[in-house]
Amino acid sequence: MNRKWMIWIVAPVLLTVLYGCPKKKPATPAQDLDVNTTTVTPPPPTQEVTPEPVATPPQDTVESNPLDSPDLQVVNAELQRRGFSPDVYFDYDESSLSDDARAKLARNADLLKTTQLLVTIEGHADERGTNEYNLALGDKRANAVRDYLTSLGVDAGRLRTLSYGEERPVCTESEESCWSQNRRGHMVITGRANMG
Amino acid sequence: MRSRAIHLAVAALLLGMGLTLPRIFAQEPPAQPPQEEQQPGNVTLVLPGNQQFKPIKLGIPAFRRLGALAGDAARAADEMEQVVRQDLQNSGYFTISGPEAFQGLQLTGDLARDLEAYRTTGVETLLLGDLRAEADKIVFEGRLFDVASGQAILAKRYRGALPVARRIGHTFADEVILFLTGQRGISLSSIAFTSDRTGQKEIWVMDYDGQNQRRITGHRSTSMSPAWSPDGESLAYTSFFNGPPGIYLAELASGRKRPIVNSGSLNTTPTFSPDGQRVVFARSVDGNVEIFVTGRSGGDLRRLTHSGAIDTNPSWSPTGGQIAFTSGRAGNPHIYLMDEEGSNQRRLTTEGDYNDGAAWNPTGDLIAYTSRRGGRFQIAVTNVVTQATQILTSGPGENESPSFSPDGRHIVYVSRKSGTKQLYVMDLDGSHVRQLTNEGNNDMPDWSRLPAQR
Repeated sequence: MNRKWMIWIVAPVLLTVLYGCPKKKPATPAQDLDVNTTTVTPPPPTQEVTPEPVATPPQDTVESNPLDSPDLQVVNAELQRRGFSPDVYFDYDESSLSDDARAKLARNADLLKTTQLLVTIEGHADERGTNEYNLALGDKRANAVRDYLTSLGVDAGRLRTLSYGEERPVCTESEESCWSQNRRGHMVITGRANMG
Repeated sequence: MRSRAIHLAVAALLLGMGLTLPRIFAQEPPAQPPQEEQQPGNVTLVLPGNQQFKPIKLGIPAFRRLGALAGDAARAADEMEQVVRQDLQNSGYFTISGPEAFQGLQLTGDLARDLEAYRTTGVETLLLGDLRAEADKIVFEGRLFDVASGQAILAKRYRGALPVARRIGHTFADEVILFLTGQRGISLSSIAFTSDRTGQKEIWVMDYDGQNQRRITGHRSTSMSPAWSPDGESLAYTSFFNGPPGIYLAELASGRKRPIVNSGSLNTTPTFSPDGQRVVFARSVDGNVEIFVTGRSGGDLRRLTHSGAIDTNPSWSPTGGQIAFTSGRAGNPHIYLMDEEGSNQRRLTTEGDYNDGAAWNPTGDLIAYTSRRGGRFQIAVTNVVTQATQILTSGPGENESPSFSPDGRHIVYVSRKSGTKQLYVMDLDGSHVRQLTNEGNNDMPDWSRLPAQR
């Protein structure tokens, strides 16, 4: 608490020392993200401050990074535009990750590591089997996704699991084409670390 | 429950004949305790179904209406008569001859002579009912006669407000059952279940015969896995209304809901210990679901399984001491047993490739569960000692989630044979299937224990 105000003094000073005067950001947000993260990685506090050093109203013309949007729908959409896969799929009664799922999660991990976003990993099952066992199976699937993302360097503290079992199907026909869509780990951005 | 019983103002009055009425049918064997064929490896399971009990031939002529019964009172009288007939029919203890069977009899109104007439029909016991209105109440008098001796063997009188007509009927039916069989009836028991008829899965309760369906939760989320407390006054259940699934307690009389366990990412499938003081349930820990026990108000959390595979859907044996649960530790879900401290874990089911949802019978010797056989889910029953197993349902329709009646003679379960999930009751031998629900999808039934002794 007490030290929080100091950041507003220390950070601009650091910024000035490191980069000279703060510059206008480059035009495209995608590049913006890359530039920021690659160059700023060493001192974490600066990264935290870069977006809006002083309380600037949003209508200010400074182009903002969509990943910084307070609207999490915008954030989810932007992440997907950059190659984030919201869903990985499982075989029947399985909670182990396929090669395809691992490849998607590797890309997701790379993207997540450039942000401080919080992710809820939902575990889902198809309608076959009992609701009770499927709830446990969904939990195991969500945890398989979480464990793999963590092994790739995503901070476990940013990942939350939530099993819905067979209670929230995306598809309701009783056939394999539909069941396969329901056996999934679904990743949703639900917040941001270090946000007041 | 209790307050409603008081509300009833049901006055039971033994008319008698100045004598202590003999239980003349005491020689009727009370439902035999299940005698299993003990040979190991023999999968034939003799279930304590109706086939072992010789049904009592019971005659029930149309109840008499004394005096003017109009409007609501007439409807209440009709309903009460129908409830008595239906309860006795549902019990499976009787072969009932209704009013039609007696149409040809020359009845005089003189009881001694009329009993002669009834004797010719082969009925062993005769049930006569009288109904009349008294101010805004209905009065019902039911009498049982031993046809052979012509003696009155049971007489009861009830007086209550019209809305409790069904309850009076249930109460009398159970008195008849207790008197003639020595067994407590189930007519006043209830079934908790989930229904999505309001658009979301909520917890509901209904009478054992499917009547009086009422919603218990209004979380507008997903609520499931209701489990009766042994005293029948509250339900533990799982709900997502607060985000991650937690376990909550609903008190039926007050309508109050409170959390039992809602920390962590997943808590599901609660059931009570036989004394009602503890709850066993499944909880996600270290990336997997395991079985835990907690106090009825939460706290004192103790872990019972450490398998690394899914362990879920536990059920405490009614006689205490053991917990049945589902585990995926052998690859597929199967039913396991353990002592209630978590020791002595052992596999019960060996047949079928997907077994879940263990439900004990009241005497603790049988477990019913959902078993996948040949790609289809069916209701199976296994003897916990001999492991003899019998499949009670057949055909398509995904039959799931069994729960025993408090007398152990019936099973409520879910079937999809109509296209939606509905609740059905069958006798323990798979016969006499009756549909209880038809609105929306209805699932996860849990049959209450017997209501507290009145």
